[in-house]
Amino acid sequence: MSEGGVAAEAPGLARARGARVVPALGVGAIWLFLLVFLVYPLLRIFYDAFSDEAGRLTLANFAEFAGDRFYLRSLWNSILLGAGTVAAASGLGFAIAFLLVRYDFRGRSLFSYLTLIPIISPPLVGVLGFTFILGRAGTVNVLLEDWFGLARPVNFVYGLHGVLLVEALHLFPMITLNVVDALGKIDPALEEAAESVGARGWRKLRTITLPLTTPGYVAGALLVFIWTFSDFATPLVLGVHDLLAPQAYLNIVQFVDRRLFRMGIVISALMVALAVVFLVAARQYVAIKDYSSLTYSRIARRRLGPLGQAGAIAFLSLVLLLSFIPYLGVFLASVGKGWSLTPFPVRYTLQYFERVIVETPKYVVNSFLYAGLAVLLCIVVGVPIAWILARTRVPGRDTLDGLNTLILAVPGTAIGIAYVRAFHVPIPGFERGLTSLWIILPLVLAIRRLPYTVRGSYASLLLVHRSMEEAAASVGASGPRSFRDVTLPLIWRGVLVGSLFSFMTSLQEASAVLFLSLGGWETITVGIFSFYIAGSANEAAALGVILIVVAAVSVAVINRVAGARMGGMFG
Amino acid sequence: MRRLTMLGLAMLLALGLAGPAAAQAPIEGELALITPVSKFIHDAALKAFAAYAKERWGVTLKVSAIPAGTPVAYGRIVEWKGRPEVDIFWGGESALFEKLTDQKLLQKVEISKEAWDSIPASIGRPKPIPLKDKQGFWVGTALEPYGLVYHPKKIQRLGIPEPKEWEDLLHPKLRGEVAQCAPTRSSSSNATYEVILSMHGEDKGWDWLKKLAANTGHFTARSRDVPTVVAKGEYSAGFAVPSYMAFEEKLAGFDIKFVAPKNAFVTPEPMAILAGARNPRAARAFIEFLLTERGQRVFMERGLFPITPKYKVQGPPGSTAEMAVEFTGGVRSYFEREVSNVYDEAVAAKRSDELKKKYRSDIEATWKKP
Repeated sequence: MSEGGVAAEAPGLARARGARVVPALGVGAIWLFLLVFLVYPLLRIFYDAFSDEAGRLTLANFAEFAGDRFYLRSLWNSILLGAGTVAAASGLGFAIAFLLVRYDFRGRSLFSYLTLIPIISPPLVGVLGFTFILGRAGTVNVLLEDWFGLARPVNFVYGLHGVLLVEALHLFPMITLNVVDALGKIDPALEEAAESVGARGWRKLRTITLPLTTPGYVAGALLVFIWTFSDFATPLVLGVHDLLAPQAYLNIVQFVDRRLFRMGIVISALMVALAVVFLVAARQYVAIKDYSSLTYSRIARRRLGPLGQAGAIAFLSLVLLLSFIPYLGVFLASVGKGWSLTPFPVRYTLQYFERVIVETPKYVVNSFLYAGLAVLLCIVVGVPIAWILARTRVPGRDTLDGLNTLILAVPGTAIGIAYVRAFHVPIPGFERGLTSLWIILPLVLAIRRLPYTVRGSYASLLLVHRSMEEAAASVGASGPRSFRDVTLPLIWRGVLVGSLFSFMTSLQEASAVLFLSLGGWETITVGIFSFYIAGSANEAAALGVILIVVAAVSVAVINRVAGARMGGMFG
Repeated sequence: MRRLTMLGLAMLLALGLAGPAAAQAPIEGELALITPVSKFIHDAALKAFAAYAKERWGVTLKVSAIPAGTPVAYGRIVEWKGRPEVDIFWGGESALFEKLTDQKLLQKVEISKEAWDSIPASIGRPKPIPLKDKQGFWVGTALEPYGLVYHPKKIQRLGIPEPKEWEDLLHPKLRGEVAQCAPTRSSSSNATYEVILSMHGEDKGWDWLKKLAANTGHFTARSRDVPTVVAKGEYSAGFAVPSYMAFEEKLAGFDIKFVAPKNAFVTPEPMAILAGARNPRAARAFIEFLLTERGQRVFMERGLFPITPKYKVQGPPGSTAEMAVEFTGGVRSYFEREVSNVYDEAVAAKRSDELKKKYRSDIEATWKKP
């Protein structure tokens, strides 16, 4: 389409030919981009996983995985943790979504914003924040010891249960968003019909409402599962190593033992494969259950009585209190000096902020530069993809759609490793590989966050009825012209929301970037990791606070522009 | 792109200035490291050198570092296959430097004879710890013991005496209170496991390490995390911690104590120039600078010890140098005292793989959080 804009100026025949050739070139360019920066690296790690040091194809690596009890235990724990987190996040997410969509109470719109905030918990420092409050020497334990003379601290967070707690409180908004979106699309007539034949309360919920929210819910649940499945930082901080993602990470970052290194790659490949299996299974399941309409219905909210109001507010406040623990912890750590065994820091300082903003502004500058470039790429590639998906019958559409969803399923660690393996070869005619050029960072970010831009634009395109474009065409507007005058004004919100989401999540990306970053390219998240690794949790926390603030502002804007429609992006 | 032009420039310069004259010529405009030595030390060293380069040659030096654990740093160097992104590898076990030498990934350091000769060949008895490479591929920069740390308030609450020797970490009341990093991920941990095995012999040594694992409440992802979790008070004691990492926590305002028990391994923090480095002259000048009094002072003010008998850690009362002396138990130089060492490099190199394998099967796979 944007490519078509060039052709629009050419008259007559040339225009007709151009109208065919230029879009074809555009489609070709998009495919080339995806093949080089997504398909090729992923194939490369699968090749690595199925070959030995000499490059011969073999199944021995997987045999070794299957014969190692520790790895099998890690696999089992990962699945268990994923399922547990989905269950916990679903409980919270559903309850909150229902309250927000179906009922009216004081502060409802404020809560609908606040309950999104947990999702922006930055990598690594989020879980550090938890340990500052709930750790063995965290605020809660110190208070328990001081007030009740507790002899040994209560272990709230170290262990699998802690990982589950942290992940569930971080990720439930993904469920909320999707369920809110799905509830918004339920035709009220269906529920009225149910009531007219006497189905009320639980029965109506079970037979009508829940099935109708299934597709949206499954999409959210899958994301929660895969996120938990591929997060290595949270378990490592909490001392849990027998999970797949930490094993992949730990094995890969210790390069000395080539066998362990290869096992790290094998585990990454396995994580990608499993993620794809879950993805396909979820899609199959949803495909047979998709009865939702595309349009949003008007929702009649029931006003809650005083008791109900109090209950709803108390419940939401409790959830928020828990999920804001990391922010409190991170904030205190970013200004507290030498904080140990007291409920709150005793000495306060701004030196950590000074160090990360004034002394080394590169973290913030790089983050914005890379995330900005990544979003530009997302728009240039993503909006045309959305248009192809929504408006054309180009061959390979389904594959394009599949690839776009696949990205959501590929763990960041795996993508990072894949890029190192795939692009550390000299570019033809060039001394050095792509891994020596900083542009690789915006590229990997763009690939990772492309789905949000595509989803956001696609959802809006679906809502623009084709008849509007046809009407424009019937009064003589060319394709590009009707796109500019009719389609664009109607979809810009979707594109903006998708792009902002891509931007915000690019700023927060850590796992893929960590493996690729070289000196001078550090982003905020890389800075968080290197400060943390260097033992300076305070500076890491200060960077975390910056990230939280930027993300909170982005979410506020998204929330304003998009309203309830954010959920579509995760589908 | 800019890096490319820099590379081109560096190559032109190298061509024009090849030969013995190069040592006198001003250095390149960039210097990059990969190192497990924490930011606290490497930032300070790079900054001090950049200031020195400005004064001495009027060169505005662009310095950078990739912080990475020893295994990661080693792995990235191997992956770069002789086309390194940095000039210098600094820190970790000298055994890894030998491995890199064998793969032809290092070049000889070739610093001035005076600087080279200022460093004794080895330190410690009965097993000597080499402080520089006989073939000239790496050189020590500073001395630092791998000891134990503890949180005095936590130890007091547990009602046990402050730990002084490795044995003290096995106290039953420390169950679940010790933090350590896996020897598969940290060179300080690996070296200290090796010390324990050398002290007790294989069988008893592993029994000892399993007892330590039973007291361990947290295996951290990196060795640097050990003093962090102890300083915060999350755990009471930590195993195999480099002195300066603990001192960094002290300077950050935490109440933490450090002890180097008998036979604690003392590392020379080896430094080497990578084969194919883009800034070899800057790298060489950096090493020579670190061995001067001004360079050694950077270390002495941060909980490390001089690599040559020429200097001692000292400063005016209340200075960080004096704080460091007090923190590390009154030591001013490792050349003034008897250094007992049982770590044998040949033995360590031979059983390195076996040690990691046994750790994985006997400790990592069976450990349960107490």
